[in-house]
Amino acid sequence: MKLLLLEDDKTTRDHLERALIAAGYGVDTCTTGHEALMMARNNTYGVLILDRMVPGIDGLSVLKDLRAAGMNSPALFLTAIDGVHDRVEGLDAGADDYLVKPVADVELVARVKALLRRPVASDVATVLRVGDLELDLIRRYALRAGQRIDLQTMEFKLLEYLMRHSGQIVTRSMLHEKIWSFHFDPQTNVVESNISRLRAKVDRGFDAELIHTVRGMGYCLEARI
Amino acid sequence: MKPGFEALRSGAFRFALIFALAFATCSALLLLAVEHAISHYAVEAGEGALKSETAILLSEDNEGGRASLLRAIDRHRRAGGNDAFRYRLIDGTGHVLVNDLGPWPTRTGWGSVAVRESDARSAAKFETFKSLGVTLADGGVLTVAGDTYDILDLRARLDRFMIAAGLAITLFALLGGYLAGGMFIRRLGRVNAAIGRVMAGHVEERLPMIGISREFDLLSSNLNAMLDRIEGLVEGLRQVTTDIAHDLRTPLSRLRQHLEGMRASGRDDAAIASAIRQTDEILAIFRALLRIGSFEGGDGRQYFTPVDLSEVLDRVVAALQPVAEDRNKVLTANIAPDCLVVGDGELLAQMLINLIDNAIRHTPPGTRIAAMLDRDDSDLVMTISDDGPGIPEAERGKVLTRFYRLDRSRHMPGAGLGLSMVSAIAALHWFSLELRDSGPGLTVRLTCPPAPPLARRKSAVITETVAEVPENTSGIGAGSSPVATTTRWRA
Repeated sequence: MKLLLLEDDKTTRDHLERALIAAGYGVDTCTTGHEALMMARNNTYGVLILDRMVPGIDGLSVLKDLRAAGMNSPALFLTAIDGVHDRVEGLDAGADDYLVKPVADVELVARVKALLRRPVASDVATVLRVGDLELDLIRRYALRAGQRIDLQTMEFKLLEYLMRHSGQIVTRSMLHEKIWSFHFDPQTNVVESNISRLRAKVDRGFDAELIHTVRGMGYCLEARI
Repeated sequence: MKPGFEALRSGAFRFALIFALAFATCSALLLLAVEHAISHYAVEAGEGALKSETAILLSEDNEGGRASLLRAIDRHRRAGGNDAFRYRLIDGTGHVLVNDLGPWPTRTGWGSVAVRESDARSAAKFETFKSLGVTLADGGVLTVAGDTYDILDLRARLDRFMIAAGLAITLFALLGGYLAGGMFIRRLGRVNAAIGRVMAGHVEERLPMIGISREFDLLSSNLNAMLDRIEGLVEGLRQVTTDIAHDLRTPLSRLRQHLEGMRASGRDDAAIASAIRQTDEILAIFRALLRIGSFEGGDGRQYFTPVDLSEVLDRVVAALQPVAEDRNKVLTANIAPDCLVVGDGELLAQMLINLIDNAIRHTPPGTRIAAMLDRDDSDLVMTISDDGPGIPEAERGKVLTRFYRLDRSRHMPGAGLGLSMVSAIAALHWFSLELRDSGPGLTVRLTCPPAPPLARRKSAVITETVAEVPENTSGIGAGSSPVATTTRWRA
């Protein structure tokens, strides 16, 4: 799957390009808003990664133009613009995600992967399954090896998100945003503590762990043999 | 420039000049009008007197005959004295019977004649008399002449008076304008000199009262309030710059040592990861500083919407309960539902996380932490309290400043920005923030205006901008507990 990367700073562009290629994606790069518009109109990209402050047309206008022209590939802003309302502005322009520089490579790759994953059958399923873990979205409880696990609201939300992204790395900041709507780093162990509580219910006492810590990156829920 | 000329160029003098010109023009017009009216009246009165005199004499002639007429003229002359009318009587045969008028030809109707002054001392002097000649029954002519001097004299006196009065008033206005201008210049000069000294770097200098009237004093006291505020801001800026330079040196030196160590010991993934983590910490400090700065500048208010504070607090407590448990602390919440405020939900969440996380971090295991949100009259009151060691009274004001850390927590991770962020976000939302002693422990109390109508929001902004002066001394030597520190906020 090809990605479009709009970034005017050469060092950053080269670095991101390398990281994305290393993650297995093909990358087209461009440095101005005009180029980005042309390339996005003439090709189909899996995800657009756009800087906001670029020469010529700025990233925000580029995306607005493309959305107005009917382009529906997911788009992600990767920008240093970090005011109170800038993220909302980016999402209003049609972005699916908004990352503030500098960002760890794993974070960017995880976000791109999450954007590429949509939509699959499990989105409309009423029961999610990973290994011997089932999550009943209607009755709001989980079953592990047939054993019922009652979950609090946030635990349920967390488990659902991990299961929907099973096999993928989910970073701390993705969880902050999706589970608690914290679009900032709380600088505290919210994710760690809540995951450990969830583990105590879902993994403790069972043969195989399903929730794995990926060191320095985040978490991954999957059945590993 | 000489102060005298300055006064001539002053606004007050210019006003006076304009008023003086306008006054002079008006008095000239008034003079013309009055003079016209008076002289018209005087001429009418003079003519009326001549007419009635001739009518009386004519009837004497008609009824009593020529002798009666002559007696009447003689009687009138004596009665009138110097101011009497002058007469000339020529009968039908051309004989001159009476002549006070000299050699002037006789004519009927209105005319004027030059008459020798009756006063002996000015024998050579002639005066102009107005005359009226009428024909008698026998064909003779009776001429009566009256003095017009009084009318002319009246007009001349009136002219002189009006011109003198006009000049005096005009001069008075100009002098007043000059003096008022001088006064303005002197008083404003003092203010300007003070402003000059402020600009030259004496930022502690304040403007004197102008003293002309209340509104001018209000102006200088407002200017002083502005100077206070600017000084506070500049001082804050200087403080922040110093703090940043000082407090970023520590993590940067640590990072440098780390990199040096790596150079000595060769490549080591764990060391690289640690270096990256340290870099991230430094970046987080920058990010926090930038955000605090932008909140203090009021950035974000334009996007405020009604926010369910109950939901936000509930969500934050739910996120942090496991964190508290992991550290052997108990976090409980007592939240009244549907408490609406106007604000930014994201920022409120960050504020509450910082507050509660602060209580979790800086208290010993076993501490109970309670979050409470309730209505109090029209306000909403939110408290985060713990039964930990609390904050010494003298330090309660300082913990809200950037990078300030209590001695007992200096060894812990963190940059000392959490509570500055809290206070910046609280101020952005017009919340008042108090740190209280909860004996034992600390209670942070936030009083929030409930979702206010637009008008009230506007007035809140105005009050804040006008009234606030930074308080750097809060918390020192404050009165008895429980209210030790109330921090008011800069907009």
